[in-house]
Amino acid sequence: MRDDSTTARRPVAALLTGMIWRRRGRLAVSWLLMSLHQACEAAVPVAIGVTIDVAVATGDWTALAWCAAGIIVLFTVLALAWRFGSQQGVIAQQRELHDLRVAVARRALDPRGTDSSLSTGETLTVATSDAEKSSLILRAVSMGIAAVAGIVVSAVTLLLIDVPLGLGVLLGVPLLLGALQLIAPRLSRRSGAAQAATATATGLATDFVTGLRTLRGIGATGRAAERYRRASDDALQVSLRAASVTGVYQAVTTVLGGLFLAAVAGVAGWFALSGRLTVGELITVVGLAQFIAEPMRTLGYCGQIAAVARGSAKRVAELLGTAPLTRDAGERSRQDTTPRLTLTGIGYRGLTEVDVTVAPGESVGVVCHDPADADALLAILSRRVPESDYLGTVTCDDVPAAEIRLAEYRRVVHVEPHDTTLFEGDISENLTAGMPASARAGIEAAVAAAAATDVVASHPDGMNRHISDRGRSLSGGQRQRLGLARALAADPPILVLHDPTTAVDAATEELAAQGLAAFRSAPDRSTLLVTSSPALLGKTDRVIVLESGRVTRTGSHTDLLDSDPAYRKAVLR
Amino acid sequence: MSLATESVTDSSVTRQLLPVAGPGETWRLLWGELRSHRAALVATLVVSVLAASAALVAPWMLGVLVDEVDRAGTGADVWTVVGVLVVSAVAAAVLTGWSAVLLARLGNTVLARLRERVLEKTLRLPTATAERVGSGDLLSRVGDDVSVVSEAVITTGPQVVSSLLTVVLTGAGLFALDWRLGVAGLLAVPGYALSLRWYLPKAAPFYAREREAMAERSHVLVGSLHGVETVRSYRWESTHEELIARRSAAAMDLTVGVFKFFTRFASRNNRAECIGLLAVLVVGFLLVDADAVTVGAVTAAALYFHRLFNPLGALVTVFDDIQSAGASLARLAGVASLPDPVEPADPPAPADTGLTLTGVAHRYDGGPEVLSDVSLSVAPGEHVALVGTSGAGKTTLAGVAAGVIEPVAGSVRLGGVELSTLGDAVVRGRITLLSQEVHVFTGSLADDLRLAAPDADDARLTAALATVSADGWVRALPDGLDTKVGEHAHPLTAAQSQQLALARVVLADPDVVILDEATAEAGSAGARRLEEAAAAATEGRTTIIVAHRLTQAQQADRVVVMEHGRIVEQGSHTALLAAGGRYRQLWDSWTGLTDAGATGGR
Repeated sequence: MRDDSTTARRPVAALLTGMIWRRRGRLAVSWLLMSLHQACEAAVPVAIGVTIDVAVATGDWTALAWCAAGIIVLFTVLALAWRFGSQQGVIAQQRELHDLRVAVARRALDPRGTDSSLSTGETLTVATSDAEKSSLILRAVSMGIAAVAGIVVSAVTLLLIDVPLGLGVLLGVPLLLGALQLIAPRLSRRSGAAQAATATATGLATDFVTGLRTLRGIGATGRAAERYRRASDDALQVSLRAASVTGVYQAVTTVLGGLFLAAVAGVAGWFALSGRLTVGELITVVGLAQFIAEPMRTLGYCGQIAAVARGSAKRVAELLGTAPLTRDAGERSRQDTTPRLTLTGIGYRGLTEVDVTVAPGESVGVVCHDPADADALLAILSRRVPESDYLGTVTCDDVPAAEIRLAEYRRVVHVEPHDTTLFEGDISENLTAGMPASARAGIEAAVAAAAATDVVASHPDGMNRHISDRGRSLSGGQRQRLGLARALAADPPILVLHDPTTAVDAATEELAAQGLAAFRSAPDRSTLLVTSSPALLGKTDRVIVLESGRVTRTGSHTDLLDSDPAYRKAVLR
Repeated sequence: MSLATESVTDSSVTRQLLPVAGPGETWRLLWGELRSHRAALVATLVVSVLAASAALVAPWMLGVLVDEVDRAGTGADVWTVVGVLVVSAVAAAVLTGWSAVLLARLGNTVLARLRERVLEKTLRLPTATAERVGSGDLLSRVGDDVSVVSEAVITTGPQVVSSLLTVVLTGAGLFALDWRLGVAGLLAVPGYALSLRWYLPKAAPFYAREREAMAERSHVLVGSLHGVETVRSYRWESTHEELIARRSAAAMDLTVGVFKFFTRFASRNNRAECIGLLAVLVVGFLLVDADAVTVGAVTAAALYFHRLFNPLGALVTVFDDIQSAGASLARLAGVASLPDPVEPADPPAPADTGLTLTGVAHRYDGGPEVLSDVSLSVAPGEHVALVGTSGAGKTTLAGVAAGVIEPVAGSVRLGGVELSTLGDAVVRGRITLLSQEVHVFTGSLADDLRLAAPDADDARLTAALATVSADGWVRALPDGLDTKVGEHAHPLTAAQSQQLALARVVLADPDVVILDEATAEAGSAGARRLEEAAAAATEGRTTIIVAHRLTQAQQADRVVVMEHGRIVEQGSHTALLAAGGRYRQLWDSWTGLTDAGATGGR
């Protein structure tokens, strides 16, 4: 763990400084303008003091005109400096964020896979919230630099007016903020607890609404409402306790600020009476004493943001730094003959010396008694596993798969994942993305072959029906059949399917099995079906049975049914 | 995934959303809640006003100090000023803290009651309405809208209240110093008003577009990352990367655009500040010149006005938050004001547990008829299996039989009594529907099960689990019945979730069970175990099973074959096999024994 953080610090620092360095021109402009803005903010109480001193107290019209002109200039500079300074800062931050997000997405989508332990959800968090938080470093630095400028201007002004008084204010304000920091963790702990309790209650509510059909099915909606009421009430109690702490915090802030002001006013008033300060200087000192707390608080806040940015940048850097899982060194193109896929002596996880051959035009079924064997086999076939991690070889037309470019291999051997993911867009886009326009005519036939015609026909938009939310609005069976249609439409020379009809009812499954067999019947199209569905297996040329990771039987579906009771038990349900 | 989506349209095309309350209705609801806490409301207002008033003492005292210096007062006068400052600081502190507590108490209490009411109404929505609305709108109400309003109550609300009071009372303080100084301060108001009038109409659509672009960006990101395996196998990496980059760039451009727009707004506010401050100083100059006020009063006025910059800035910038909180509140009020479903006062008792459907027809929202003239009588304790292809109407028929879909024609009777006469509460207690959607509730396993039977003790829960053969794996869980399951907790397999659903049926102990489970992913051995569990859970109960697998039909007392929304065949498994009709074809091809080309063609 400790080693981790020391080795990770360098890439984190490199990532963060890299972001700043790449945008240095824009950021320099932003920092200059934002510092100017803070200086102007500090100058507002000074301007009030000066105006009262030289104009209001004296009745000098010319002085008033000069002061008014000065205030107009001050506010104009203040407004313009903030406007353009913050714009440049936001542009720089947003561009870096965009680049970071795209870089993370590119890494996560790398064809070679990523050797990262992150789950999909975690990767998503890195690409969204961590990237965003990392980019905040730009904001933290900008705000910090501007705050320092504000503090410096205030400090110089105060010291110019009166050195002991100025020093008192400059030491008093940090002491005050420090005192508030002592109770701040308690406050954030309590309000964190309140947020968590409220989030829990909201989570319960969304959970109940998500499972509304289930609740209603068993007549439990009343009981669910009762349970939510209790959770909501618990959250309320925690929120009320947090509110008390907030109240105390605000009281302490107010009293410390008020007492500090009283002290500064007392001393400055005393000095003014004794003639050490003018009235205007008195006003300026009091005004600056109140103002200076703001940039100092901002500095503390910048520290917090920078810490958050560092934490997130660590995760981003880790993801960007992960090595690809597999190699894509192969340069050889496959000879464009009829495809033959051969697995020889495969040993991986549970698999031991597995040989599988799919000849051109052949349709082969694989029945795995243990579902883990099916997963292992598919991982090998889709080249998700580095060659060094398994024994044996995969060849495609006698060329070792490792020597074929990944994209080329996947064009020839298409493995359709079992869990169908559809993407946002309409059905036809989902089925044809990445296909040459000439091939799109076959879509309707593929949909029909996958017994998915009703999915398209049941909706007024037909093929233009919009898929949202990863196809969650479709039933599992509908999604699965569209996935099958998509795989058929891609028309790869070798198609590998993994339990493509598990969520489909028996009658529809039969239609899909027939459609699949007919669609893939061309002599240059081979199909490998990893399944235990008799409807699908009954239409294969040959079935290979894997038991305890080894090939135990090979034969036709009907022969195996007749001769192998274990096979019968595995597939006849 | 749903009862209805097999045949009903899913997208926004025919979505009917839940009502959104108008401003009047929203206020009435809010006021009704606030009125029930009248004492707290009055106390909160009084303390908040006092707190804001106490904060006015300091600038006033500084003005007094300036006057003392101006007329060369004594050290004792300075001490008086310091003394008043100290007292006012303590008073302001106590009052400010107290008002924060009171405000948070009131806001959080009203919020809690509101969210409870919204969830209760949502859960009690008539089934047909809930199905039509879809889970998206329901979820956004109880989730996002509640979060937005909570955020407003916890942070924006107190900020708005205290800023508003500060602005109003500081304005009053200006007038108290001298009415002409007050008028001078008011000169800033038109500036802010113009600024808001320029900003607000443009802001809402601008922010809405930005939010939309962000949602689109996260859609593609979520979609591509979740489907990364699919992306790789189709070699779509670069397509998806480009799409992500395009959406991300679009969102970035909008964010920058929105920010630029906001900076222009802020510049306009700076202009209003400048006008106000100059007016106070110039008017002060004239008044001092005319000996109408002291220099100290002008100082106090200028300091008052300077103090307004932050609360005024806060007020104009939280306008968006207030607007979106208002929109969410209106959506919550829309749900909270829904009438409660009417339950019949004294429904007649069904004679037995038989279920009779007569002449049932159904269509979804004016679509094609998905059920036509279906009549089916299920005797008490009889098990009937529905068989047919997707779109044949099985799931709709199951929904009608369970009373969650109201058919457009025909009737459903339980023990001779119409379901509508029995009322939703009674029907849901007597007929259990296990839909294709298997949901595991977040919380402990025991909590999940007790949703079906709140008073069941652990022994009864264990017995129910044993009935569906789930006791073995439950015992093996890290904390047994107390293991946390559901989202972000111990994951259950699809088969385990289905067993859990069956155990809930056992605990709910209904007269009638309608089973419409999706086929198990666990392979045929797992599916067989689930079938046994379903048989055990439904034993002795009137049962309709939507048969996704034909072995389920084989074990039923009667098989009903459906096609195009009609019943085409019915009888026992053996009788239908012997009859050699549609069921025979399905059975032969399903077992894979016969060449499909010979018998399975349509």
